Amino acid sequence: MSTTNTESVLGQELTPSQIYDLNQSLLNEATDVSRPLIDSLVPISHLRKEYENGSKAFVDQIDWLTEHGYTHIRRARGDGDCFYRALSFAYVEKYPDLTHLSTTPNLLESVGFQRLVFEDFYEVLEDLIKRVQAEPEEMREVLMESAFQNPEVSNSIVMYMRLLTSSHLRSHAPSYEPFLFHPETGLQLDVREFCEGWVEATGREADHVQITALSRALLIDVDVAYLDGRVRSSEEKVEFVKLRPREDPEFAPPATTTEATETTIKTPTEPIVLLYRPGHYDILVQGEKEKERGVQEGEGQAAEEAQAHEEKK
Amino acid sequence: MASISSRRLAKELAEIHSEGCPVGINLVKADDFTCWWFTIEVMGESLYQGDKFTLQFRFDPQYPISSPAVQFVVTEGRQAPIHPHVYSNGHICASILGNEWSPVLSVVAVCVTLQSMLASCKDKQRPVDNDRYVRHAPDNPKKTQFHYDDDTV
Repeated sequence: MSTTNTESVLGQELTPSQIYDLNQSLLNEATDVSRPLIDSLVPISHLRKEYENGSKAFVDQIDWLTEHGYTHIRRARGDGDCFYRALSFAYVEKYPDLTHLSTTPNLLESVGFQRLVFEDFYEVLEDLIKRVQAEPEEMREVLMESAFQNPEVSNSIVMYMRLLTSSHLRSHAPSYEPFLFHPETGLQLDVREFCEGWVEATGREADHVQITALSRALLIDVDVAYLDGRVRSSEEKVEFVKLRPREDPEFAPPATTTEATETTIKTPTEPIVLLYRPGHYDILVQGEKEKERGVQEGEGQAAEEAQAHEEKK
Repeated sequence: MASISSRRLAKELAEIHSEGCPVGINLVKADDFTCWWFTIEVMGESLYQGDKFTLQFRFDPQYPISSPAVQFVVTEGRQAPIHPHVYSNGHICASILGNEWSPVLSVVAVCVTLQSMLASCKDKQRPVDNDRYVRHAPDNPKKTQFHYDDDTV
């Protein structure tokens, strides 16, 4: 057993590894705090600039993305919650609907979470979606950015997504258990150990298992673009991992209700796209033209929903 | 609207009052949403038979996203249990209070975990670096970065 006391350690003799750890944690804090939890949308050229003096492979991959219509990026703070935060933002932005989401608290309860540990988090998410629905389309971005930059709102939503991920894993344990390993030791973990240590704990980064589980729990298509600096021989300079939970018979909604849900749920027509760099996730956004088209398609339904919401009140 | 922190703590407190605490755990005081005290005793056979310890929880406005600061009270004649994970100033080295904290843990769940940490103790001794740690320890145990390198005790 040993301790590093951050207040008293300064001025004492430190081992090289302690100095490294200290530097690393200071560096992390410094880079983290300067960035909003969710930043505003910027052209991907901002990211390119950061790599221009570095790896050509990264620059080539960014150029490839730009050529293929991925012209903007919305960055998330690198605090271990970036995947959940980026995905939540993109989800609420593309899919401000409670039809499916409102069924998920029952899933959490069914795997044994007490209502009191998650209901406040759920209410924050539900409240935000209702406020987004009530806003005209052009005002939503401002509302969402300010919500996701507010730590209490933002972290509550992140926490709900973590618990939803955990609940999905726990309720489908046999499907996932062969793939659950301790990220550091490589030892096989059971679903409870994995969820407690690597999903529910705050600030723990998500890996492929968590991403797969959350896309299935939310029934949303997710594309993850890997900006990994690898040079590929094929035409595709950037690898995309595509998650399509609704095409998977084990996780898709039951066939009998599919037809009914398709008509009532505003199914996102395009996947949520995340940009992965080693250890970090941001939101990748397609160019204005594609975006405008997407907006027009969704607008009629959104207006209807907003109206329906008003009537309910 | 009340903050998430006070909403959550209000619910936890209501549950404690309506359903009571698990055996061996008792609420001493919870007059606000910043600091609560409990007593804990280990039931059955253990190295701490007949001992009663006082646990203090301090909550910041980010609770339950951020962990509570939990320690044994060592003032006015109260003592911290002698345990390889408990420093003589009352600070506790437990991963669930640090990097494995999750909001799914409630105050009562933390008490139960610490109670079983004491119950399973085989060797009543202080952490090896107790004196060095206590000399420099910050007031708030959350400011300490513990290394959880021993899961066996």
